[in-house]
Amino acid sequence: MTQVNLVSLTKRYPNQPAPVLKDFSLSVENGEMVALLGPSGSGKSTLLKLITGIERPDAGDVQFDGVSILNMPSNKRGAVFMFQKSYLFPFLSVAENIGFGLKVQGASAETIRTEVTHMLELIGLPGMEKRKPAQLSGGEQQRVALARALVTRPKLLLLDEPLSSLDTEVRLNLQEAIRSIQRELGITTILVTHDLGEAMAMSYRMALLLNGEIVALDKPENLFHRPRSLAAAKFMGVSTFLTGDQAWGRQEAGVESCKKLYAIRPEHIRIQKEACKNSMPGVVSDCIFRGEYVEYQVAVSEMTVRAQMPMPAPMFPHGEQVHVRFPAEHLFEVENRV
Amino acid sequence: MKNPLPPPSPERTPGRNSPIFKNQKWGKGQNFEQNNTTPPLKIRSLDFWGRLGGGLRFGLYFVLAAPLLLFILYAFSNRWFFPQPFPVEWTSAALVRTLSDTRVLAGLLDSLGIAAIVSLLSLALGFPAARVLGLRQFRGRQIAWLVLFLPTVVPPLAIGMGLNILFLQTGLAGTFLGVVLAHLIPTLPYVIFTLAGAYARYDENFEFQSLVLGASPVRTFLTVTLRLIAPSLVVAALFAFLISWSQYLLTLLIGSGRIITLPILLFSAASGGNPVTIAVLSLIFLAPPVLVIAITARHLRGGEIREQY
Repeated sequence: MTQVNLVSLTKRYPNQPAPVLKDFSLSVENGEMVALLGPSGSGKSTLLKLITGIERPDAGDVQFDGVSILNMPSNKRGAVFMFQKSYLFPFLSVAENIGFGLKVQGASAETIRTEVTHMLELIGLPGMEKRKPAQLSGGEQQRVALARALVTRPKLLLLDEPLSSLDTEVRLNLQEAIRSIQRELGITTILVTHDLGEAMAMSYRMALLLNGEIVALDKPENLFHRPRSLAAAKFMGVSTFLTGDQAWGRQEAGVESCKKLYAIRPEHIRIQKEACKNSMPGVVSDCIFRGEYVEYQVAVSEMTVRAQMPMPAPMFPHGEQVHVRFPAEHLFEVENRV
Repeated sequence: MKNPLPPPSPERTPGRNSPIFKNQKWGKGQNFEQNNTTPPLKIRSLDFWGRLGGGLRFGLYFVLAAPLLLFILYAFSNRWFFPQPFPVEWTSAALVRTLSDTRVLAGLLDSLGIAAIVSLLSLALGFPAARVLGLRQFRGRQIAWLVLFLPTVVPPLAIGMGLNILFLQTGLAGTFLGVVLAHLIPTLPYVIFTLAGAYARYDENFEFQSLVLGASPVRTFLTVTLRLIAPSLVVAALFAFLISWSQYLLTLLIGSGRIITLPILLFSAASGGNPVTIAVLSLIFLAPPVLVIAITARHLRGGEIREQY
């Protein structure tokens, strides 16, 4: 239940030429879940260590409700985290693990017992108190880890790739569970992930982190449909970029300058047999059936266009002559910044 | 949509009886058929090696146990002369006599006390060193390893002589404390090696979890770190105990004849030449280590360590 401000955080490890985080600023509203999306090595995990006080930033500040917590030790900050591995204490039972935070804060045995029972119901594992972590499946371990993190009603919950080691089915299941528990308890949360789908499904806002800097920050739907920069667009799965002087879709999009760069999402590109106005001829190099949609790779002059069309869609054999169309309403301008 | 879904091409979806499926353990039915036709696996040569290995193992047990059995026979024999395969009369008189000897009792207590204090001190000194060596990368790490391992390569006589001169000057020679400090030299490398190994596969995130959940650093150390590293602590303490327990040369040099531990008594008895006394003393000397190992055998196998991670 805290408003979190990260102010110009900079961190550089010794023996490394470039800083892991450069002048990183982000503010998270009370009860909000913000996802930090980025490839590995983009400084996501370092950021969480700075917030919890395991590492100290070289410069910048971390504020909870406007008050700096930089000089507060980790165990007083009230920012808990949950990792890809559950890190449940192997020598404690499920109940003792969940109750750990309350116990070290000096809660009574009675309080701990009722809270633990409540948390186990919340995470959907009632009656599991006596089990040892080794007796639980990966998904159950993560649920218990979540309960252990939430039982103390932390000011801030930090999730570091919490689901990446789980099977798809368990992962989707837990995504929903974490999402609904987070909203129910209203706990301010920062989710770190490299999985675009996970970030979009769970967060209110999504920040794209590349090389220690935020390159884009917006609601998932905005960031997904209209990424502003080339790097952001690429991370959002866009692979087709057109310069203004390339003729395709020019009139329709109202392209003015030849210098500008335009992008289009793969699912908006149309592949068809017959030519029409502004369509480009191409040769199918691959056509993959994905269930909900068909994925095409079409060679158009020197570049390969990747397109997706929802089912039912035609399957084209390799080498088939087709026409590619970039509907004007889906073309958007991106900043070509390196 | 002009071009509807094309019919599935025959190459992509082979039927059950197509040649692609032949001889492959895909379907359940095929698997069953195969099991019926395959002869049971039995390799003769493997049997031979298995038996040879078993034989060798029992041979090894015998070689290790034979001296011990001989000691037991000697210690409890009353009269045992050449042609007889076993003693004629059995008695525990020698054992009782040796155990009631005040010199032996004092030696036993000294040995136990020194070994126990040396174990605790090596753990206290070795723990921080092992943590840093196992968890951190730093400049000069290799040199630190080398220095810590020097005592295992340098002959104990060389260490003992040098140490003796130093201890004579500082007044530590011939004292209990002096012997304890001297024993730390051979025990520390083993303690550090054992604990550094444990720390190399240790995950600090357990500690971070405890910290962010509100436990103080001291509490985290006591309830999480120590608990996770406990199996290796037991093994390291055992090493230190055994090395200190069987230390003869350093005790002799630094103790200057004033600190009489069991190995020193055993050596003087051995030069005396009475086989019964030697056997009884050896059994007394063997008992505590065997007891300690019996208690900690569970940890020595490393079963608990593996279970935890």
